Amino acid sequence: MKMKTLISALIFSVAASIPAIALASDGPEVKFVGPKADRTDIQSLQRGARLFVNYCMGCHSAQYMRYNRLSDLQLSDDQIKQNLMFTGDKLGDTMKSAMNPKDAKEWFGAAPPDLSVMARSYSSASITGSSDAPTDVLAAYLRGFYRDDKRDTGWNNLVSPNIGMPHVLHELSGTNKLVETHYKADGNELKTDHEAEAKAKGEFIAAQTMSSFEHHADKKDGKIENTYIVRTLVNETPGKLSSVQYDIAIADLVNFMDYVAEPNKAKRIQIGIMMLFLLAFLLGAAIWLKKEFWKDVH
Amino acid sequence: MATKHASMFTNPLLKWVDDRFPLTGMIKEHLTEYYAPKNFNFWYYFGSLALLVLVLQIVTGIFLTMNYKPDAAYAFGSVEYIMRDVDYGWLIRYMHSTGASMFFIVVYLHMCRGLMYGSYRKPRELLWIFGMLIYLCLMAEAFFGYLLPWGQMSFWGAQVIVNIFSAIPFVGPDLAVWIRGDYSIGDATLNRFFAFHVIALPLVLIGLVAAHILALHEVGSNNPDGIEIKKNKDPKTGIPLDGIAFHPYYTVKDIVGVVVFLMIFTIIVFFLPDMGGYFLEANNFIPADPLKTPAHIAPVWYFTPYYSILRAIPPLFGSQFPGVIGMGLATMIFFALPWLDRGAVKSIRYRGTLYKSFFAMFIVCFIVLGYLGVKPTSVWGQFGDWASILDTKERATWVARILTIGYFAFFFLMPWYTKADKTKPEPARVTMH
Repeated sequence: MKMKTLISALIFSVAASIPAIALASDGPEVKFVGPKADRTDIQSLQRGARLFVNYCMGCHSAQYMRYNRLSDLQLSDDQIKQNLMFTGDKLGDTMKSAMNPKDAKEWFGAAPPDLSVMARSYSSASITGSSDAPTDVLAAYLRGFYRDDKRDTGWNNLVSPNIGMPHVLHELSGTNKLVETHYKADGNELKTDHEAEAKAKGEFIAAQTMSSFEHHADKKDGKIENTYIVRTLVNETPGKLSSVQYDIAIADLVNFMDYVAEPNKAKRIQIGIMMLFLLAFLLGAAIWLKKEFWKDVH
Repeated sequence: MATKHASMFTNPLLKWVDDRFPLTGMIKEHLTEYYAPKNFNFWYYFGSLALLVLVLQIVTGIFLTMNYKPDAAYAFGSVEYIMRDVDYGWLIRYMHSTGASMFFIVVYLHMCRGLMYGSYRKPRELLWIFGMLIYLCLMAEAFFGYLLPWGQMSFWGAQVIVNIFSAIPFVGPDLAVWIRGDYSIGDATLNRFFAFHVIALPLVLIGLVAAHILALHEVGSNNPDGIEIKKNKDPKTGIPLDGIAFHPYYTVKDIVGVVVFLMIFTIIVFFLPDMGGYFLEANNFIPADPLKTPAHIAPVWYFTPYYSILRAIPPLFGSQFPGVIGMGLATMIFFALPWLDRGAVKSIRYRGTLYKSFFAMFIVCFIVLGYLGVKPTSVWGQFGDWASILDTKERATWVARILTIGYFAFFFLMPWYTKADKTKPEPARVTMH
């Protein structure tokens, strides 16, 4: 097991990149350094499926996804039944949570959204001004939880502040706490707003863990006071997984969510390539035909 | 069918048909003996491509209708059912969603061709009017269709557009309720939009397309030189000297265009079906929720030039009506083109700098307005404190206002600049480049 994890960690580190997530222009800018999983990596998708049914489906459904569709992940019907189905569902049923949405609404303030196409709802990168893949946004969110006693659930999130969802994966990740630093022009070390901003940005970029950067402008005595806030997450208590292992687990889970959002993606790309070859051949034939006929047009 | 043609068939069955139906006549009139100018260039592919996309949309639409449920409770789920459980449902749906955007790309290029070569001018005014009616019908068709997936963007986009009508003084709010069939977008709205999308408008559209083609074949095609090929006919046969039979010459040429188009279509359908959020918007993967307004609502890209104009025009006495008028005028003004243009020549090839400058300005205005309509008005930031005398400090809004003036200047100043323009002499016969 350990060897396997090590190998997959190695594979991941090759594919790893450092996406800086700007989720929205009005919210905080969030950065996280993490591995990315590959849609064609069946083992990663299988691990993601296991995490999904064990941790997510307590509350969330994927009500448009059928269990037997998981045969895409090279799983037999028996394997699906034994490893991924815990309720009395049939193989042809969709992946529905056992939780009653009415109860859920009472407990969390909002019914947990269906996750069937969740990954696709983050894909308008070109419009929000962020160039990140939807999976990065989801991964950042899942890694952004920290302890917060002020919240009913005891948890808060760096990416989506004050969200109703608790940190379901905490037994894997352990717990994080928030470290918040404010930078503003004080006349001593940081003479101007510009210096304060530069200092804060520097700390934000240098942070080794997940971090966010936010700019606040308050009006005080008719003057605008700028504050630059850098928040980072620091591990408090370790979980079952090391931080590297946990990051890989999240990459797997998000990879699976991306698969669930569009199970036909692999097939679509395959057919597309064949179509292009076919059309390229047709184009040659069409151009030849046109030239033959147009010989007598002067 | 003015004249009775001798049957072109030897097959007894087709002969039998020919005695009872003008088959030979129609084939000759519209294909083998319809003479089109021989100098068509790249811009002349888009008419046949528009017809191709129309057929694609109708065929894929029929198959989508077999599995789609026009019910607020089931619509979103039925689309996902098509995407996952229907055999190749995903392909049919992506073809339809991509086809919608491609329809507008093709039609905009087709219209741009008409502008460049003066195809709207006498004797093609009615042809142009039919074309414009198709364009308006297409916009309505796209708008009704966009509600059907019942996602957040469907819902809020429809909400915004229907609310435009409520800006009309006195009758507005009642009119909006009448359109929706409810006080907000709901099940009743979805049902009627479905009816319009799958029956009413396609019928009108097909009728208009038939009228458009009949009018075209009555007056004959224009060409990049903007001169009439019917002026130079072979004295014996009466066939225009610069004309070639539509079939086989343009059918084989259009096949090349069709294949190239299908390659682009394939790349989008199979590799980029969302087109970065422009063809399928991310927010539309969240089911419609009347209680949650998305942070940024924008119509689909093909409406955005007009949406920009709507946003750019400042309200009057707190009413958005001037913006609505501006937007309506921006779409309708194309109808007047045949009577606004007083140029001595039709084609941009022989026009002077004045027309060319106005035309270039119009294209820039249209594209940049389209871009700004996709983005929030804050996209280019704000002017400094000096701008507090203005009603808004947002740079993008001001740019959109200037571009709106440019857009209308192209039309309103057209009688003047086309007349004052120093044109070059037209050639007697078409030129092949």
